[in-house]
Amino acid sequence: MRIVIIGNGVAGMEAAMAVREAEPAWDITLISEESDHFFSRTALMWVCCGQMSHRDIEPLERDAYARFGFHRVRARAVGVDTAGHRVHLAGGLEAVPYDRLLIASGSSPRRGPWPGSAAYGVGHFVTMQDLGWYENEIHGGASRGGGPPRADAHLAATTEDSPYRVRQAAAAVHGRLARKPAVIGGGLIGIEAVEVAVSAGLRPSFFIREEWFWPIALEPREAQWIGQRMSEHGVDVHLDHEVEALEVDPMGAVSAVKTDHGRYETDCVVIAIGVVPNTAWLADSGIELDDRGGIVVDEALQSSAPDVLAAGDCASVRWFDGSRRPEQLWYTARDQGRVAGRGLLGKRASYTRGTWYNSAKLMDIEYTTAGLVNWDLEGESSWFFEEDGRVRSTTRIVSQNDRVVGFNMLGRRWDHSVLLRWIEERRNLSWVLPRLREASFDTELVPPLQVPGA
Amino acid sequence: MDQQGQNGLLATYREGWRNRGVLGIAISMLLIAFYTVLYWEHKVEARFGVAPLTALSEGIGLRNRWYLYGLLYSVAMVGGAIYYLRRHGNSRYNRVRISVNVTIQIALGFTLPFVMPLFGGKEVYFSYFWPLKYDYLYPQTLESLPLYFAVYTVVGSLLAAPVLALVYGKRWYCSWVCGCGGLANTFGDPWRHLTSKSERSWRFEKVSIGIVLVLALVTTALIAVDWKIGAEHPTLHRIVAGNDWRDWSLKSFYGFAVGSILAGVVGTGLYPLFGPRVWCRNFCPMAALLGIIQKLGRYRITVKPGMCISCGNCSTYCEMGIDVRSYAQTDQSFTRASCVGCGMCAHMCPRGVLKLESTSRRRLSVIDS
Repeated sequence: MRIVIIGNGVAGMEAAMAVREAEPAWDITLISEESDHFFSRTALMWVCCGQMSHRDIEPLERDAYARFGFHRVRARAVGVDTAGHRVHLAGGLEAVPYDRLLIASGSSPRRGPWPGSAAYGVGHFVTMQDLGWYENEIHGGASRGGGPPRADAHLAATTEDSPYRVRQAAAAVHGRLARKPAVIGGGLIGIEAVEVAVSAGLRPSFFIREEWFWPIALEPREAQWIGQRMSEHGVDVHLDHEVEALEVDPMGAVSAVKTDHGRYETDCVVIAIGVVPNTAWLADSGIELDDRGGIVVDEALQSSAPDVLAAGDCASVRWFDGSRRPEQLWYTARDQGRVAGRGLLGKRASYTRGTWYNSAKLMDIEYTTAGLVNWDLEGESSWFFEEDGRVRSTTRIVSQNDRVVGFNMLGRRWDHSVLLRWIEERRNLSWVLPRLREASFDTELVPPLQVPGA
Repeated sequence: MDQQGQNGLLATYREGWRNRGVLGIAISMLLIAFYTVLYWEHKVEARFGVAPLTALSEGIGLRNRWYLYGLLYSVAMVGGAIYYLRRHGNSRYNRVRISVNVTIQIALGFTLPFVMPLFGGKEVYFSYFWPLKYDYLYPQTLESLPLYFAVYTVVGSLLAAPVLALVYGKRWYCSWVCGCGGLANTFGDPWRHLTSKSERSWRFEKVSIGIVLVLALVTTALIAVDWKIGAEHPTLHRIVAGNDWRDWSLKSFYGFAVGSILAGVVGTGLYPLFGPRVWCRNFCPMAALLGIIQKLGRYRITVKPGMCISCGNCSTYCEMGIDVRSYAQTDQSFTRASCVGCGMCAHMCPRGVLKLESTSRRRLSVIDS
């Protein structure tokens, strides 16, 4: 049996390992344009600032392909011949035949819609190659931990529209490192790009279209704290700014961001306005895509084409609220990869999405969310508590029709599995508040949260 | 303000002296040279006619070079603690732990042993226990100690240390009390990311630390036998303890190989090349013993299920070379024998996935060796 997996991210690698565990003799090929090794995309920011090396963000040892007997193809897939069961590659490489195929090609960064978006010094912060570009702009190259192995191995078999092409840094054009970087887009990748610049001693500009930072996740009081912390770290936060154009200097490098509020000089721009499924290369394959570009899959993650599955950021799955969308999260990609692995083995498996949860760290502020917050629910009410003593934290509990449906927490650590259980048990606020401490996941010696009236 | 995660991003890999650059190698060679002279100054003196450390000690009013070592050790710990707290002091656990550890070193590791002889007492170290301070259970040593301290060291080594390790894990000693661990976590902190996380290094660790533990137990036992019957068995006495301190015997071999080479020259000298816990991870018999006890006790690292993003900050900054990520990403709460409970994995985790615990509330899902 020939298994081919496009993408060696977490979904692809989880599936490959699940197949290998059950079938030691099957032929497994992983095609990746981006990288020789499976790495954690969520960790790019730490590599950029020098907190981690490239090796550190690889969860497996570097002999993993040899140990598991995976074939590595380092090239861009440019199409799937679903009738002939073959994957076409760029660079004139021979097509790869498959018996069962998993597409786990992930996301690509959403390109800037503005004039000047292709100038030198303008990039994203999603792919390994984006990281290399941003390292060049901010630090002049990789840290002493070294760059990724065979960084250019894919260049013989890539295409112009690839998100993994290597951008030239404005730093090389100017002959000096970035002094005033700008980041466009007030979400998680945006704040990561900002933090990296801050850690290099710079004062980046942060352009956010909305009235406050990350409105899909935070409400104004929460976002205000994050914004305040960014300002304390020297970030120029520009809220409610609609970018209109990027100005380009005669050398072809970006020189300013023009918004509806004015003109801001810069020499490096990170565009972080979201990601889209990396599926443009499937346009002629006949595999059904939805209007966002996600590969339409059923509960077993089977696509519209026979023997073709999809998992991870590129797959449009059914959400808990009934809608069908890609889920651009690490842990859902991992879970989908496990389900797809069973599918590749020819076994029945179904992917069901539980209640939403997530966590992050925004600058140095811990963030945990579980359930429905910021969903504009009918009959919704919020309980909000701000603590500012030895620990600063905010706690927001969202109820709908006297049942707790969501938690949004900043400044402390929480065990989301306990919060999710309470949501599933349909507890009400007065039941939850006195028990809130049971969900605490604070490190030892941190004084516990004192909830008023509980 | 207390926070739990690290405060701002770290530039660890952008600094050459922390990444086996020229300066890092130079610091390592300087440390090795220092320990070589410290332990074998009599040979230096025989060869070159000077005893540099003794001369320096006497010059600044210290009785001998071991007090100079204690002073330098304390200074290195204080300086390292300032470095550490600037990076990680926003966490209460880190702040309290490092403060306690440095205080114990200054009070019990330097000041008290220096002061006691001034009042006619014998210098003793309250912060070291057998089998780390291997001679503290030799019957010959116990006989020569004041009674109160002989009782302290026997009860401390054989009862208190194991019981505390059962309840809190070996961290109570390795990360809160021990001078070796204290130096590693302060002066050695800049190099903590250099400890190897490979499976090979884990296999090496399990064998090497086991060998040293067996050697420590055998040496202590035979020295006790020699104390009992050595007078009637001169050959045994010669092999176990030697007739003169210059003789090669089991006792002097242990002191040379483990006490001087592994704990001093290798253990500290290789900080800038292989991370600050080379000794603790691979060779310390006390860590080996408490590690076995730790696995039977309550201490564990609890993993919050389904939240790990496999970033690897935990593994990168584990000074003991534990691949914490491999447990976190598979939702397995765990106890590893080598874990010294420094708390850095939980501190570095950007998603708050990890928590050190020694309460009896939550259950373990796996126990791994």
